[in-house]
Amino acid sequence: MRALSTAATGMEAQSLAVEVISHNLANMNTVAFKRQRAEFEDLLYQTVSQPGANSSDAGTIVPTGVQVGLGVNAGSVYRIAEQGGLSETGNRYDVAISGQGYFRVQMPDGNDAYTRAGNFSLSPNGEIVTADGYTVMPGIVVPAEARQVAINTQGQVQVLLDGQPQPQVVGQIELATFPNEAGLEQIGDNLLLESAASGAPNLGAPTDPGFGQVRQGFVEVSNVDAVTEITSLIQAQRAYEMNARVITAADEMLATSSNLR
Amino acid sequence: MDNTMLIGLTRQLTLRRQMDVVANNISNANTQGFKAERMMLEPDTSMRARHQDGPDRAKFVDEWAMGRDFSQGALTHTSRPLDLALQGDGFFMLETDAGERFTRDGAFTLSPQGELVASDGARVLDNNGAPILLDPRAGQITIGESGAITQNGQQIAQVGVAQFADQGVLNKTGDNRYVAPEDAERVIEDLPQIKQGFLESSNVRPMLEITTMMEVSRAYASVTRMIKDADELSRKAIDRLGRP
Repeated sequence: MRALSTAATGMEAQSLAVEVISHNLANMNTVAFKRQRAEFEDLLYQTVSQPGANSSDAGTIVPTGVQVGLGVNAGSVYRIAEQGGLSETGNRYDVAISGQGYFRVQMPDGNDAYTRAGNFSLSPNGEIVTADGYTVMPGIVVPAEARQVAINTQGQVQVLLDGQPQPQVVGQIELATFPNEAGLEQIGDNLLLESAASGAPNLGAPTDPGFGQVRQGFVEVSNVDAVTEITSLIQAQRAYEMNARVITAADEMLATSSNLR
Repeated sequence: MDNTMLIGLTRQLTLRRQMDVVANNISNANTQGFKAERMMLEPDTSMRARHQDGPDRAKFVDEWAMGRDFSQGALTHTSRPLDLALQGDGFFMLETDAGERFTRDGAFTLSPQGELVASDGARVLDNNGAPILLDPRAGQITIGESGAITQNGQQIAQVGVAQFADQGVLNKTGDNRYVAPEDAERVIEDLPQIKQGFLESSNVRPMLEITTMMEVSRAYASVTRMIKDADELSRKAIDRLGRP
């Protein structure tokens, strides 16, 4: 009886959906988190009678045939790169991206990673770093004696030094965009890696054509919408229950057969 | 006696398969663009169940065809710019290694080269049957209800939609896709609206499936009962007639 295994694939798929939803809900307050969605595809079809096959000697043909599907499998889990809201923090090293782009950061192993979480701070030697202490590329050092730090929407970092009325530009924050940002590989810690699916990064300054702008004193909040997630959770849970019911019913059918004698 | 048992057996086999179909519908209750299916049955006309004497109305039951419910599934808002839903009859066209495929699952992405592709990389075709190349750097992608893709105020391509005179000729290949026979008649009439940022959800109606499931399992039990009765009957007949 295929119904048993078919329903089992359905239960598996729905439990994946619940896992994705719980991950989204767990990250409701994670800076710049992008919600994900599980996508499903129907599995193979077993052909019981071929469409177009002859059904009699007179040459009549089977119009549509009989194909019995074998269930469902997970197609992919998408990251939905919709803009999250901007929340004001007042911290002068918090930078939010409004629009397209990712900050480029250097990981301890020397490789580049990408993130939209702009809750930056300063390292002991005055470099702008992420919450984990990774350098924000191309590496901007804020002098210790700076009285004020301003980051404009173009990503220019300016400082006011004592005795100098004119602000000094100490660096330029750069952004990266990708042909397929959904293809970036997630490695946790709000970081993403370039992958074969994402394509090569295209670097530029904020407000360049195709790039978003940056806002000092704000962070991008998670784009998880609790109401949507809870609705999906209900849907997934009910679908799970229904699949379990199918298993019970198929089991009952088998039981009646085995009670024949 | 044989008739009862054998006819009962054909019914049991078809019921099992009906159960498989219901299970497939339910397991795909949350699959985008999925279309519910229903097994259609007929009395087997090619051979009669009773050969020798009496009325020949007794017939075996057999699967005749698979009915697919192509009605519109509900549209769910996803706000992903490359999620497309069709409202109305028709299919998106995909180019795969195995040939042209059709789908109503419009969860597309961009490939590293900037082509509009399905989740496994199959290219989405435009109305001339060519792949759709977008510039990922050129800013926001807007797709109108007619399928026209605009970027920076310029129309780049038009998402292709295939329509068939008879959708019943399509075959499912899995992965939310259909394949059409070569001689399938294409038509162009009332092109469907394309909705950006929406996905079409499965059109499986859970209530209907659950009631079908109950019907099937009850029918199965009663056919089993019938076979048991027939068995009992023949056992009694042997018992009585064999008595000296």
